[in-house]
Amino acid sequence: MQQIKQNYFQLFKLSESFELDVSTLAENYRQLQLAAHPDRFAAASETEKMRAVQHSSYLNEAYDTLKSTLRRAAYLLSLHDVDVEQVKQSDLGMDLLLEQIQLREALDELPKDSSALPALENLKAEVTVKLANMERFFADELQRREFDSAKKCFHEMQFIHKLLAEIDSSEEQRLGY
Amino acid sequence: MHRRAVGIDLGTTNSLITASCGSGVEALPDADGLQLLPSVVQYRKNQTPVVGAIARAAAIDDPENTILSVKRLLGKSRSEILSQDPFLPYQFDDSRDDGAPAIVTTAGVMDPVQISADILRVLCDRAEVCLAGELEGVVITVPAYFDDAQRQQTKDAASLAGLRVLRLLNEPTAAAVAYGLDTKDQGNIVVFDLGGGTFDVSLLSLQRGVFEVLATGGDTHLGGDDFDRVVSDWLMQASVHTGTLSHSKRIELLYLANQIKHQLSETESVDVSYGAWTGKLDAELFTELTRELVNRTINTCRRVLRDAKLTTDAIDNIVLVGGATRMPVIRNAVAEFFGKSPLVNIDPDKVVAIGAGIQADVLIGNKSEHNFLLLDVNPLSLGIETMGELVEKIIPRNTTIPVAKAQEFTTFKDGQTVMSLHVVQGERELVSDCRSLARFELRGIPPMVAGAAKIRVTFQVDADGLLSVTAQELSTNTKSEIQIKPSYGLNADAIEKMLESSRDHAHADMESRALREAQLEATQLIDALASARKVDSRLLSAEEASRIADVVARLQSAISDGSSNQIHSLSEELNQVSGDFAARRMDLTIGEALRGHSIDEIEHSTDE
Ligand SMILES: Nc1ncnc2c1ncn2[C@@H]1O[C@H](COP(=O)(O)OP(=O)(O)O)[C@@H](O)[C@H]1O
Ligand SMILES: [Mg+2]
Repeated sequence: MQQIKQNYFQLFKLSESFELDVSTLAENYRQLQLAAHPDRFAAASETEKMRAVQHSSYLNEAYDTLKSTLRRAAYLLSLHDVDVEQVKQSDLGMDLLLEQIQLREALDELPKDSSALPALENLKAEVTVKLANMERFFADELQRREFDSAKKCFHEMQFIHKLLAEIDSSEEQRLGY
Repeated sequence: MHRRAVGIDLGTTNSLITASCGSGVEALPDADGLQLLPSVVQYRKNQTPVVGAIARAAAIDDPENTILSVKRLLGKSRSEILSQDPFLPYQFDDSRDDGAPAIVTTAGVMDPVQISADILRVLCDRAEVCLAGELEGVVITVPAYFDDAQRQQTKDAASLAGLRVLRLLNEPTAAAVAYGLDTKDQGNIVVFDLGGGTFDVSLLSLQRGVFEVLATGGDTHLGGDDFDRVVSDWLMQASVHTGTLSHSKRIELLYLANQIKHQLSETESVDVSYGAWTGKLDAELFTELTRELVNRTINTCRRVLRDAKLTTDAIDNIVLVGGATRMPVIRNAVAEFFGKSPLVNIDPDKVVAIGAGIQADVLIGNKSEHNFLLLDVNPLSLGIETMGELVEKIIPRNTTIPVAKAQEFTTFKDGQTVMSLHVVQGERELVSDCRSLARFELRGIPPMVAGAAKIRVTFQVDADGLLSVTAQELSTNTKSEIQIKPSYGLNADAIEKMLESSRDHAHADMESRALREAQLEATQLIDALASARKVDSRLLSAEEASRIADVVARLQSAISDGSSNQIHSLSEELNQVSGDFAARRMDLTIGEALRGHSIDEIEHSTDE
């Protein structure tokens, strides 16, 4: 089986940076998928079909990665040989931990019924602003090739994403999904 | 040359077949001019089964041998079915130790896959008459929310019916195709599909011919049938009926309830008589009785919007699909929730089948290239059991397919040489709350200390939404691979045997049918290769060209006077000798982007 290793940014003809034009990404993804998708090979041999499935899967993985800011950040770090799976104590500042605890407490203290929904919305808005600031910071640090600081920022973003997911699921619980 | 490809909507309640004939894709009628085929099969001793409206009527007098809504049985175990539907009139074959819901009928024991195949056969016979020739490929639709087992069994039913499946297509996506191509829309479309037994909602974004499913949701146990049940419960209560009903009486009552429900889509109030009792059901009371059901459909819409991170004002069009969306209670609720009126200009009974027919036409090659593309998602998360009976998700729901994802696991005991893997599907955290898809073992792991082995598990979901799993120990390359097969029901061998026996018995001309299929496929292969050579002959070396020409010549002579086996093996040989050429062609269109190499480098690397 052939292993595809093409750089995701080159694949979609984008320059390698955290900030990217999402609509260009989407448009180039669709163009490539139009050529690669297994449906284009419905009448072809099994070998071609299997290859098409591989190609198309790779495009999907690449697109998913670049579409999500968090995964995009991790991918960019990995391109500079920074391993985000390895987390050292020094990657996580004390201030961050404290803030985390505070935010999480705020979430836990909310009432367990739908009366908490407006508060959840507010919390979400607050956290989203934080995230946007972090993303700007991450983009700068990466540009300056300050990888340690970028990695630290990545882990902070990771925390925020987890928190957002928790806010989402508390919302869903209260909405009765 | 125009190829005969059809789209099939194999519905819980009604099925349809469509094909492009001249002007556009149309539903094909039976001899009496009827397009909708009720998905009901009546089995009779020593006779071919009856399928359709006659069978539906026969269910009252012959409930044990007449199978309604077989789609609800696909991919399920006997016990699951009995807990979901305790009043089924069928006698299940308890001797089946695979837990399959095989039904004992006067014509023998029937698996849901066989019953579905019987419906498919009737549809295809109809198409072969209309199109005057054998079918070369079919696209079959499935509810977007169908899990892996249900999809696999649908595909198995098609192979049992002797059909070549070009694609399993999600029903809402098919509906979007029918509308999208019609209106040349750009923007976001919600497809709301309420049939007899299933409910699906999909949100798609349409951009220059690419249909991208953003999120999908649904309920495989919600449909028009539930509205019938609500009405029949009301009837029992209102008429103060006590005691239990026989199977026949129950079916009769449900048919009556169904009739009342249909009338309520036309008029405000219906006079009802049930036995000696007479009364009235009006729209207001019906709305009240069905409020819970309607709310469930709207809640699913909410969830899908949420998954796609969109709000109702971002939705440009809502498409209604399925007979049950004719009910005013549904139309009003949908219009109110989305704040705009849904599109209904294509018949909600036919829209799915029409979309499937359009896609079949494209896949078989009747349409010029680059027409449109469907990017679908997997509806339910796929994962693996980890310690503490927890599920580790590997592919989350609403991931665009095809997709491949790998995850690494390790051993937890010293010297462990076997690792068992349990593949599950569903959103819940506990294994017992998800659907079990398969269990398999990776053997021959070299003994190491706990945590040292690296086992990579790869999930691959293809464009039909079907999963295959491979596991590999990385230091030794020990490999294990399975195509996920439903835990109950027919395996590939059983299907092959049935195919053979049906060739022996039912149709004397089955071998000749197999031969014609082989001839068709081989001809298609030769044609495809010829047109590829026309475009890209520069990618072919002289030596390769002559090897290909040689196999093509032998294959052509086998097509005119060989057996189906000879044709198959020569087709296989042709695939092999032209494989490199095909790979280079693919590299030209897409591989260049994927590899970051130029085509010249690739040519060199294959020249060695
Ligand atoms: N005019 C109508 N009013 C209300 N319900 C209807 C009407 N026409 C069809 N239905 C209901 O639609 C359901 C069948 O829809 P269909 O799309 O054919 O289902 P499926 O996809 O399950 O085969 C049945 O429950 C039927 O009673
Ligand atoms: Mg349907």
